[in-house]
Amino acid sequence: MTIPLLGLIVFTPAVGAAALMFVRNDDVVRWMALGVTVLDFVLCIAMLGGFDTSTHEMQFTETRPWVPALGITYTLGIDGISAPFVFLTALLGWISVLASWVAIDRKVKEFMVSLLAMQALMLGVFCALDLFLFYVFWEAMLIPMYLIIGVWGGDGRVYAAFKFFLYTLAGSLMFLIGIIMLYFHGGETFDIRTLMAQDLPFQVQSWLFFAFLIAFAVKVPMVPVHTWLPDAHVQAPTAGSIILAAVLLKMGAYGFLRFSLPMLPEATVHYSTLMLVLSAVAIVYGGLLALAQDDLKKLVAYSSISHMGLVTLGIFTLNLRGLEGGILQMFNHGVTTGALFLSVGLIYERTHTRSIADYGGLMKAAPVYTAFLALFTLSSMALPGTNSFVGELLVLSGAFAANLAVGAAAVLGALLGAAYLLRMYRKVALGPASIGVRFKIRDVNAREMAAILPLAVFVLWIGLYPKPFLEIIDASVKHLLAQVHGKGGAQ
Amino acid sequence: MTAAALFQSILASLPEIVVVTGACILLILGQLVRKGQQQFLVWASIAVVLIAALGTLMLAGEVRPAYSGMFVADRFAVFFKVVFYLVTVLTFLLSRKYAETEGIGSSEYYVLLLLTLSGMMIMASATDLLSIYVGLELMVLCTYVLTGFLRQQPRSNEAALKYVILGGVSTGIFLYGVSLIYGLTGTTQLDRMAATVTGDPLDPGLLLAVVFIVAGLVFKVGAVPFHMWVPDVYEGAPTTITAFMSVGPKAAGFAVVLRVFLNPLVAASNVWIIVAVIAAVTMALGSFVALVQDNFKRLLAYSSIAHAGFAMFGVAAGGADGVASVMLYLLIYAFMNLGIFGIVIMMRNGDFSGEVIEDYAGFAKSHRGLALLMLLYLFSLAGIPPTAGFFAKFYVLVALVERGFVMLAVIAVLLSAVAAYFYIRIVMVIYMREPEGAFDPALTPAVGATLAFTAAGTIGIGLFPAWFLRLAQHAAVGG
Repeated sequence: MTIPLLGLIVFTPAVGAAALMFVRNDDVVRWMALGVTVLDFVLCIAMLGGFDTSTHEMQFTETRPWVPALGITYTLGIDGISAPFVFLTALLGWISVLASWVAIDRKVKEFMVSLLAMQALMLGVFCALDLFLFYVFWEAMLIPMYLIIGVWGGDGRVYAAFKFFLYTLAGSLMFLIGIIMLYFHGGETFDIRTLMAQDLPFQVQSWLFFAFLIAFAVKVPMVPVHTWLPDAHVQAPTAGSIILAAVLLKMGAYGFLRFSLPMLPEATVHYSTLMLVLSAVAIVYGGLLALAQDDLKKLVAYSSISHMGLVTLGIFTLNLRGLEGGILQMFNHGVTTGALFLSVGLIYERTHTRSIADYGGLMKAAPVYTAFLALFTLSSMALPGTNSFVGELLVLSGAFAANLAVGAAAVLGALLGAAYLLRMYRKVALGPASIGVRFKIRDVNAREMAAILPLAVFVLWIGLYPKPFLEIIDASVKHLLAQVHGKGGAQ
Repeated sequence: MTAAALFQSILASLPEIVVVTGACILLILGQLVRKGQQQFLVWASIAVVLIAALGTLMLAGEVRPAYSGMFVADRFAVFFKVVFYLVTVLTFLLSRKYAETEGIGSSEYYVLLLLTLSGMMIMASATDLLSIYVGLELMVLCTYVLTGFLRQQPRSNEAALKYVILGGVSTGIFLYGVSLIYGLTGTTQLDRMAATVTGDPLDPGLLLAVVFIVAGLVFKVGAVPFHMWVPDVYEGAPTTITAFMSVGPKAAGFAVVLRVFLNPLVAASNVWIIVAVIAAVTMALGSFVALVQDNFKRLLAYSSIAHAGFAMFGVAAGGADGVASVMLYLLIYAFMNLGIFGIVIMMRNGDFSGEVIEDYAGFAKSHRGLALLMLLYLFSLAGIPPTAGFFAKFYVLVALVERGFVMLAVIAVLLSAVAAYFYIRIVMVIYMREPEGAFDPALTPAVGATLAFTAAGTIGIGLFPAWFLRLAQHAAVGG
């Protein structure tokens, strides 16, 4: 019998969360949470070590009957599209624990339990190969995330938590109906691989496409259902923001890749222009909104909307460069925006203000910190040499191949990105030291360094040598494209 | 009736006989029990229920028609009876301390609950409109009295009076429908009704009769437009009785609804449209009105209206899966609703009423475990996986989509998104507020056991629904 590696990866944090409930001492709780997440990360690396990049087939699959009467199974497995996100989730797991080490000072145990539960559910979403199982993971995430925002958030946390919960729930419920319809049209099975092989009538595909779109668009988030994001990000504690930005937002795009494209190819091709336009609107609109923000977290949140627009743009170009760029950009956004939220969190812990106007001249007070901030800002702007450059370049070349106007909008978004990010960096790091930072600010300590350094490594690694990352996704993306165009007609 | 047939009939109805006999014995014994020894009554009542449950399970092997087609002991009835036993035993366990606090722990309380149970059991087994009526009346008469059991409180009296009057009217409507059916078909037996109708099943007379019967039954499950009694009665009644009524008699009402709707006569008429409208309106009203409630019991009353609406969607779907989905829904609802009511009952201690939602502010700070249980029940009621409440809703939606009612499914999920708001609002109060005073919940071992059991059901059925689903599906196809 082989070791069910994916099952271990998914359920290690869950077991850890259950075990934490019986621990009393806060310090023990912290160390245990760190231990569990690091163990999970190690397992994840072991998994990637055995990952075969030459095939698009699902790997490490494990399956068990769950509810036979309805054809529901417990099936896990990963391919080149999900593997990067399993890794990203595991990576950010322990970074989130480190980011909450001192920032969370009350109800530490409950926080870590929620964080670990969240981790298990997010990993489950990326590994699930059964639609029902996927939905259970997808929807159950609402519970810990609602608590993370609502209990440990800022002043407006209750409002933000409600908004997050209700938006996502309302979106997901249409998805649920879609799943059930797919079940009956696809031969009474929830198995994702079987469903991908079905050839559904166009009418059904269109209906399902929009049912899925509502759920995924809320999670991405796409304009006009993005309004929960700034509230949730601003109010959430640092770890909550990191998870939201780095992993949760990826799930919407992952949903498109896993369900909409392969299962509903004709509808995808048919509505791809609509999706391209929506993405372009998100890129420009998110960028413009970011330009007007004074709150650091809000700025990063709106930049997320803009960047995720670039991701969905890449996906719906439906060509190889666009798709590969989109997926790489998803990973990059996870690393870079996660790092930006972490940076904002670190400085907020010291000054307790997020207003850009309060900052200035940080470079003199905390040079190491500012160097990291510069790196992540440049990465977010997609400067050559950083990770986002590779992804953005691929997406843009895909976009111009698909639609000239949309490509132009994406370039405009990139320009806007440079504007608001440089403005932010200039005001925070350069210039004379202003009121807010006149008192002595300590530079990053060892714990913070441990959290931030890995992200910086990935920024440069993907920026300078993206080949191993693209290799992982390559076979699966090619297969995905064949699925879309094979059944959806040539574009 | 020959002696053998009589013996068979008695055998089939043995559990009912056990419960009624047990209730009568306890009524006499209760007079002999001295004050302060009421613990005995609780355990004796539970013993009666357990004996009946044993009988039911031993007789569950085959279909046993009895009393010339008035009564049947089939899998469908067994499923519902198990739900009733469960609800009754848990109510007994919750009642001990609460009844003492409120000063209502006399033997009549337990006897009436047992008699209500017997009424519900007869309803689940009845296959004739008249035996349905007998069971129904036995059940509601007892609940009228139980509602008014807090006789010192005007609120409780008012609730009981309202319940009696409205209940009487609805029973009258039901009986009128039965008399119309008898006039048109010459029988009140569910099986024979369809056979005797030769003409159009959409005969206006028949339709009228069916509508009247439906109206009478809809009252019992608390669906719109016969829901007005629910909030007042739920608020005024002793909380233990509210907990009981929200799951037991409601499930009994649904048992009858399903039996009547499984009937080919009713299935042939277009009553499902009425049921679908009732379901949608019931759910909408329950969900929207619950949004503005401050009283916990009232909120749960509206929540129970909303859940009745959701279960009604399963009735509207019809078919084997539709029926099974309603049954599974009721079983799961019993677990999660008794759980949350268990918490409210537990909070009633000394002068603390625990009836206002704000009373629970910051509860999570001092009582982590109990708050976590509340969280579990509330998210289950809201239908968030991996709790059982999600699977209950999911299966109803599957039944709806299977029959092609996609729009109904969309309405159902949109309304459950509304309903989710007021459940998570309570979560917000217990987790995101600072406590204003100390809490002193009356966590007796009996209450603790109830909470543990309901929690195990709420999470257990959610994670491993396969066995329960098969149970409901087997029971739904009859036989």
